[in-house]
Amino acid sequence: MGVERRYALASAALGRSGVPPQAEVEERPALSGVTGEILDISPHLVILENSEGVEERLVIAPWATAWHGRPVVPAELPVGARVVIRARQSGRVAERLWGDVTRITGVILSLGTERRDLTVELDCGPHRGTRTVVIPYGASGRLRVRHPQLEPGFLFDAIGTRVEGTTFARLPATSQPAYRATAVPPPPPAYGGIQSRISGAAAWSDAFDDGEAGAAYPMLERADSGCEDAGVSCTGLPYLALGSMLYVGNVCESRALVLPIVACGCMAGRFCDRCVECGTSPRGRIVELSPVSFVELGGDLAKGCFNARVGLG
Amino acid sequence: MTVEVATLAAAALTLLVLLLVLGSVAKIATAGTDAEPGGLSRLGPAMLVPERWRKPVLIFCATVETTLACGLVLTRSPLPRWGTIAFFALATYVLWELRRRRPDVGCGCFGEASGSPVGLRAIGRAVVLTAMAVTVTLVPVTGADVLSGLSWDLAIALAAGVALLSVLSTELEEAIARVRYRAPCEQRPVPAARTLSRLRSSSEWRSHAALLVSGEPEDTWRELCWRFFVYPGRTAAGAKAEVVFAVYLSGRRPPVRVAVVGAEGTGGTLHESTGLSATR
Repeated sequence: MGVERRYALASAALGRSGVPPQAEVEERPALSGVTGEILDISPHLVILENSEGVEERLVIAPWATAWHGRPVVPAELPVGARVVIRARQSGRVAERLWGDVTRITGVILSLGTERRDLTVELDCGPHRGTRTVVIPYGASGRLRVRHPQLEPGFLFDAIGTRVEGTTFARLPATSQPAYRATAVPPPPPAYGGIQSRISGAAAWSDAFDDGEAGAAYPMLERADSGCEDAGVSCTGLPYLALGSMLYVGNVCESRALVLPIVACGCMAGRFCDRCVECGTSPRGRIVELSPVSFVELGGDLAKGCFNARVGLG
Repeated sequence: MTVEVATLAAAALTLLVLLLVLGSVAKIATAGTDAEPGGLSRLGPAMLVPERWRKPVLIFCATVETTLACGLVLTRSPLPRWGTIAFFALATYVLWELRRRRPDVGCGCFGEASGSPVGLRAIGRAVVLTAMAVTVTLVPVTGADVLSGLSWDLAIALAAGVALLSVLSTELEEAIARVRYRAPCEQRPVPAARTLSRLRSSSEWRSHAALLVSGEPEDTWRELCWRFFVYPGRTAAGAKAEVVFAVYLSGRRPPVRVAVVGAEGTGGTLHESTGLSATR
């Protein structure tokens, strides 16, 4: 039985409404996330093929910007690149494009060198398995300054590009936690009650299917989620299950969505960092979003996090 | 005078054995659970050895404590007695060194319970225990002597010893804090098996057991303070259905709610019971 029915069954048992709640009505114009492979791109128009094989045409707004390992002009994105687009006007006008973007979050297993470049082998959790990442010589200074302990056992989190099957780390996504991946600090003691909304940092991850909307949440019961590393978090998070509806709000942009939990955020739970994109978030990474959901909530994939509030939908 | 010294030695022996056994059990428990990632890395002398040696060191330490405790209770031989002096004297030095080198870690004397940083109290306790070990070496009493020499004097000496050690133990404060600031049930891990046995003893289970086709749940998951169990079943009319139980995770006789939901596709709740509590 799929986890999709869990929400309806739980609602029946507890006498809740069977329709998933919607986030509060927002006043700001809605954003939509579009993904696909570029078939053709010009300064004013991009044509892409989405994961279902359907062709989509988007107008590129005059103020649009793009990212492909570094900030570029949208028309410089190569044909054949996989893009994630933040679009307005119900997905017709592209205003921010990220080409071949990928995020590499994991525990360092081993290090090697390849000419002047550094290669890092990472354990990215049960969903992503083991990945090998190349840190180009040109990016190594920027990465090492935020990842001082490039040693097996420590955490690694970077944003990069995936070109022809090779993953290149380009930017650090966070400051590396000072502890080993097996030594996550315990959450502060909870004084009695529990808040209905918990603040922290929301990150994104590419451990989702192409174009899927959803979230990965760290605090799942190990037996239920089939994930041996779940249930670790340095924030006092309540237990939820795969299939629960999670309210995720972007504090900076005042946008919110209710998303299903589709994966376990085993890696997110190990990061006890803060997001400093706008103001400083409380400590702890509380949720990982799929790229589309992250973009729809107003996040910038090249920055990697936003200040968020989550709660049960 | 000799009587008093013997009484003091008997009290010291009791306390030493008690603390050695407690420490040993707590250390084995900590090493065995291999606690949440990094549990061991915050604990005491283990910090002074490389990571892969930490667990063996903890187990070795526990074994030594058990051996010493057995030796003290059962024999009059000076070997375990001098061993105990050496053990606690060494512990005093190690704690002093630990406080200097790693002021952030706990002593680990009682495994996970001793997580608060080493202070003068922990070192003082090690000194007091060394003194007690010296007493039982000078007056070699055994477990049999303690049992035969039960008296009010012994009880008073024991109470004084317990009081002194309690004052020097930070673990007690930690235990009280843990009881007071218990994590809310949304954040506490609760084994599914326990919840299932609570469900099976509820009146809702008995009233719906006839509808179930199988005794094993198809699916189970936890959301906040509720655990859900879905059983394949059929309605009173005989149509295929799913029976969903929701069990609250706190309390001995928790509230249980139940709903019978029509098979996939047909949807809709056929019958829904109100939130009865299992308390009778």
